[in-house]
Amino acid sequence: MVTPSTDITSLVHEPIDPVILATYVRGNEDGAIVIFDGFVRDHSRNRRTLYLEYEAYESMALAKIQEIAAHLHNHFPIHRVAVVHRLGRLEIGETSVYIAVSAAHRAAAFDACRYAIDTLKRTVPIWKKEYFEDGSVWADGELPPVPSATSAVKPAS
Amino acid sequence: MPSVSQSIRVKVLFFGRLKEILGRTQESIDLAVESNIESLFARYVSSYPELQQYRSSLVASCNREFAPWNTALHAGDEVAFLPPVSGG
Repeated sequence: MVTPSTDITSLVHEPIDPVILATYVRGNEDGAIVIFDGFVRDHSRNRRTLYLEYEAYESMALAKIQEIAAHLHNHFPIHRVAVVHRLGRLEIGETSVYIAVSAAHRAAAFDACRYAIDTLKRTVPIWKKEYFEDGSVWADGELPPVPSATSAVKPAS
Repeated sequence: MPSVSQSIRVKVLFFGRLKEILGRTQESIDLAVESNIESLFARYVSSYPELQQYRSSLVASCNREFAPWNTALHAGDEVAFLPPVSGG
């Protein structure tokens, strides 16, 4: 699926610069930008988190992020999209995912941004491991929806 | 037609706890021509029985698309077993 070349979709291994992304999606024809900034929390289920490590099936994850961006353009009257996810070790407070959507009017920007983060968390093959003082665990995640089973190949009639 | 080969070679990728259980991130493996994703997973379970407990909490992909377990495999396919995703 092809997203408009004006979108930014990427996986990065260095800190995300929110100012560059927010500035990038902002156009004179827009009236609103909605941003989702997801960052590392200092606790998980009453345990103190030290840091997180993210890994991804990078080629598939990028393709799925691009599908999300394409979906936004097809379903919401928006202008530009930026979706960036960081991988590797992230410290408390660092941004792991940043989504910015610009639009002429706020409702589309809100709706599209919400759709993007909700869909990313459910369908993009990225995993995080949480590190605590006494060990580490893979975070509970969501199972992506899978197309139903394929039927046997029909013989040519 | 060239002669029909008796096996197909596919690339298999492991992530998250599967990567830790198998001690590797990817490999190429030769399979019988009738193989599908389920039979490929069963082959790993035979070597790593603890994988079986994760079967119901995995999804599979073939060539970077989510795929049903009965998806037939072909030479050159890239298969991955994906634990529940937790990005964001």
